[in-house]
Amino acid sequence: MMLQIWLVQALVVFLTTQCIGELVDTCGVISPESPVIQHGSNFTAFCVLNEKCMSIYEVNASHIIWKANRVLIPKEQYTIINTTTSSVTFTNTSLTNVQLICNILAFGQIEMNIYGVRMRTGFPPEKPKNLTCIVNEGKRMMCQWDPGRETHLETNFTVKSEWATEKFEDCKAKPETPTSCIVEYSPVYFVNIEVWVEAQNALGKVASDHINFDPVDKVKPNPPRNLSVSNSEELSSILKLTWINPSIMNVMRLKYDIHYKTKDASTWSQIPPEDTATTRTSFTVQDLKPFTEYVFRIRCMKGDGKGFWSDWSEDARGVTYEARPSKAPSFWYKIPSHTQGSRSVQLIWKTLPPSEANGKILDYEVTLTRWKSRSQNYTVNDTNLTVNLTNDRYIATLAARNLVGKSDASVLTIPACDFQATHPITDLKAYPKDNMLWVEWTPPGKAVRKYILEWCVLSDKSPCIPDWQQESGIVRRTYLRGELLGSKCYLITVTPVYSDGPGSPESTKAYLKQAPPSKGPTVRTKKVGKNEAVLQWDQLPVDVQNGFIRNYTIFYRTIIGNETAVNVDSSHTEYTLTSLNSDTLYMVRMTAYTDEGGKDGPEFTFTTPKFAQGEIEAIVVPVCLAFLLTTLLGVLFCFNKRDLIKKHIWPNVPDPSKSHIAQWSPHTPPRHNFNSKDQIYSDGNFTDVSVVEIEANDKKPFPEDLKSLDLFKKEKISTEGHSSGIGGSSCMSSSRPSISSGDENESAQNTSSTVQYSTVVHSGYRHQVPSVQVFSRSESTQPLLDSEERPEDLQLVDNVDSGDGILPQQQYFKQNCHQPKTSPDISHFERSKQVSSSNEEDFLRLKQQQISDPISQSCGAEQMKMFQGVSTTDVFGSETEAPAERLETAGMEAAVDEGMPKSYLPQTVRQGGYVPQ
Amino acid sequence: MDLRAGDSWGMLACLCTVLWHLPAVPALNRTGDPGPGPSIQKTYDLTRYLEHQLRSLAGTYLNYLGPPFNEPDFNPPRLGAETLPRATVNLDVWRSLNDKLRLTQNYEAYSHLLCYLRGLNRQAATGELRRSLAHFCTSLQGLLGSIAGVMAALGYPLPQPLPGTEPTWAPGPAHSDFLQKMDDFWLLKELQTWLWRSAKDFNRLKKKMQPPAAAVTLHLEAHGF
Repeated sequence: MMLQIWLVQALVVFLTTQCIGELVDTCGVISPESPVIQHGSNFTAFCVLNEKCMSIYEVNASHIIWKANRVLIPKEQYTIINTTTSSVTFTNTSLTNVQLICNILAFGQIEMNIYGVRMRTGFPPEKPKNLTCIVNEGKRMMCQWDPGRETHLETNFTVKSEWATEKFEDCKAKPETPTSCIVEYSPVYFVNIEVWVEAQNALGKVASDHINFDPVDKVKPNPPRNLSVSNSEELSSILKLTWINPSIMNVMRLKYDIHYKTKDASTWSQIPPEDTATTRTSFTVQDLKPFTEYVFRIRCMKGDGKGFWSDWSEDARGVTYEARPSKAPSFWYKIPSHTQGSRSVQLIWKTLPPSEANGKILDYEVTLTRWKSRSQNYTVNDTNLTVNLTNDRYIATLAARNLVGKSDASVLTIPACDFQATHPITDLKAYPKDNMLWVEWTPPGKAVRKYILEWCVLSDKSPCIPDWQQESGIVRRTYLRGELLGSKCYLITVTPVYSDGPGSPESTKAYLKQAPPSKGPTVRTKKVGKNEAVLQWDQLPVDVQNGFIRNYTIFYRTIIGNETAVNVDSSHTEYTLTSLNSDTLYMVRMTAYTDEGGKDGPEFTFTTPKFAQGEIEAIVVPVCLAFLLTTLLGVLFCFNKRDLIKKHIWPNVPDPSKSHIAQWSPHTPPRHNFNSKDQIYSDGNFTDVSVVEIEANDKKPFPEDLKSLDLFKKEKISTEGHSSGIGGSSCMSSSRPSISSGDENESAQNTSSTVQYSTVVHSGYRHQVPSVQVFSRSESTQPLLDSEERPEDLQLVDNVDSGDGILPQQQYFKQNCHQPKTSPDISHFERSKQVSSSNEEDFLRLKQQQISDPISQSCGAEQMKMFQGVSTTDVFGSETEAPAERLETAGMEAAVDEGMPKSYLPQTVRQGGYVPQ
Repeated sequence: MDLRAGDSWGMLACLCTVLWHLPAVPALNRTGDPGPGPSIQKTYDLTRYLEHQLRSLAGTYLNYLGPPFNEPDFNPPRLGAETLPRATVNLDVWRSLNDKLRLTQNYEAYSHLLCYLRGLNRQAATGELRRSLAHFCTSLQGLLGSIAGVMAALGYPLPQPLPGTEPTWAPGPAHSDFLQKMDDFWLLKELQTWLWRSAKDFNRLKKKMQPPAAAVTLHLEAHGF
């Protein structure tokens, strides 16, 4: 039967292989079929061709080519064993995964794949190390190990275990966890077990060292359960812990590890291990702080220390019972108001920190004792008490009270009103360190009961709201216990407190952390000079300082120039920049520096002036002064030498009084009022010009006359046809003086025909008879004014003229002589008299003036003006010359003045034919 | 042991003697062997552990058997189960046992009990109970190995297993279900009694093996004087 079955099977296998052989028959095979090669070793593969293929494709082993991962392998690695077999050898294999293919070159050239294999390279397993096992309570045993280097091949790990008498089931590590395995059976405690691990892959098999242990020594117990904490009213420093042990307690003894901490602490404290080395279910923790919440946790392990600690239990919390406050509160006072006879005192104190309060503070007990009188008691819930006290000395005490008891009392002496604080501390310093503001001082000579430190933020915006703290009398150095901010200036005051009252306070300023100022100083110029500028700035407000201003730096530059920096001490608010260029735009800014850095202020520009202040004045004033002085000197000179100048400048106005005519006519009517214009115009005639017709042969022409004649000719041409009698006469008169003067130069008083008052028109003038014109006139124009106003005078002159050529001149001057008050011509007259009487030189001078007169006056169309001008010049001249003489003359001639004018009036009426053309 | 009563010189002499002969003790002569002391202690701990284990196992199993077996005051007369080794023995007889006989009795008893217990395991219905019984069996086998180890450590030969005493615990047709349960009950009860007894045996043996350690302590104290 068996044989039959075997035969059938053999047949099936044979047939199958035949079929497969027919289907997938290849030209050759590679051996080994699926090689696994140890990394770094040599390897040889063989390709064996079958005879059929060799004959079909006409190949042999020499036509075999090898490829590794489709790359041709060099022929040096080939070996032809025989006609059907070729081998390839790899030395020091390093590739981990290689596809090796055997090819033939059919017909010597067509490449055909024959067979392929995949080579795997790796390492044999290393001996596993560090095999350890752990028994988690209630679970199975787990062993783990270090597998050594990576093999790059599939490697199986098997944990084997046995007793001396019995083998246990193997534990095969799962591929995903090749370094550990959990055995299938529950371990038996107190019986030693031998455990090892075997590693195996295609390249080998290796076993670790055997370990022999009692599983109970590898136990990791479950943590203790239901940890609870209870306190004791008797003892505020203890808490009792209770818990339930894990069931492994029945198998082995346990020891414990108990940790505890206060609620907010980050690190745990440990109960000494020797106190918890035995199996137990409760423990009392001692030396705890009263009224404090504690957190506990516990773990356990086998009592002899073998095995593993359990995990920690869940945290349990408990609060110790209250105790009496351990310290007296900080106690201080303020006197907000003080009036005559009483004062309001605010007692202030600090709440005790929880570590000192030892419970919930219910209230504070305050007593106030006036010197030698009964004390007053107060119970306060708040931390301050305001009382009205007299000006006497008081003793205040303060105690905090909680459920259990009362603290010690803080005692404070409130001195009498007239108390003088003394004994300040010395060397007060404040500095930041470790992000705290430390205060240090030297104690005074007197025994200090305590120190009070007060501090507040200095700011311009908000008032100083002080915080305070108390330090015991032995403290020399402390830090401010408050929430301090950086970049804020703190004013710190330390007051020593003596048994009889507070001492003198001492203050200092400090920063917890300085920063650069938040604003830079604003610089401006106070004064700008040509080469210097005085800069001025304000101290930075304390709110923007952010630190102690150590120094300032002034940067200044011109638009194109480099910036120059000047350091200035922080105490200054002014600085003078020197060596500046004049007339230059400067940009200046300032940086204020604290210890932590600086901050620029806004830039300020200014321009230096071209000239220094006072420079212009220094130039202008002397120039002006010099000018003024020169002018003054000139004026003075002129004044002093006025006569000389006058001689050169002013026209030589002939003085009628010096005229010989005046002497000639003693009947000259008295002078009339100058202002009597009504009389003048009532006639409706300008009859002040007398025309004297003189025969051409009456006078001997002089060369000067010829010149004047020429001039006159010209004038005549320009004014022909419309020139008035006056104009004509004046022009003629203006030209005449030179004739007359020349005349007079020759013959002084006795000149017969040269001196004429008015224009002498040639007889041919009216009748347009061309003939030689001879002009003659009076030496002065002044009488023209008189004749203008007093036509009768002129008339008289006319009459005279008609009679005699010399007499009328004298007559005329006589007439003038009789009006001393109204006419300034008196002086002329006077002088003329003097001249005529005696002084030859003066007379000569006068003539010179007369000569210059016509020169200074134009003889064009403005004849009227000329008259006025001449008269005013005369007035000036008379007044400046000799007023005394004039008075004298006035008195002398007064009688003559009266009664005379009447005789001339009819003459004036008579003279109607002399109306100008 | 009278060592505690002797003077210090006597102690020292005794100690020296013991130390002199220590290498000669067969159990201690094996290299790498920690000696019988730890083994005895371990065996003692194991008996205690098994006792504790059995307590919970028995509770479970008796509940599985149901009333009246799981009632606390159920105390039937020992009628059948003669094949079970009896743990109870006269105190004097027990005291007079030497170590070898004592260990041999333990070994034989547990060998038998283990066989019966395996039969019990096969009958157990629930998986949980079967696992507990299997673990207990393994543990009991560990105890057996421990006892063998102690005996080997002390140089005593292991008793040859009697032919025919191998798994004979087969439900015979003569047994009714109740009687079978009764046998199970008695098996557990006898197992418990044996574990108590073994604890005492190994405790006694443990104390007996301690003297050298005590002598060392005394020697150190004497040296301190």
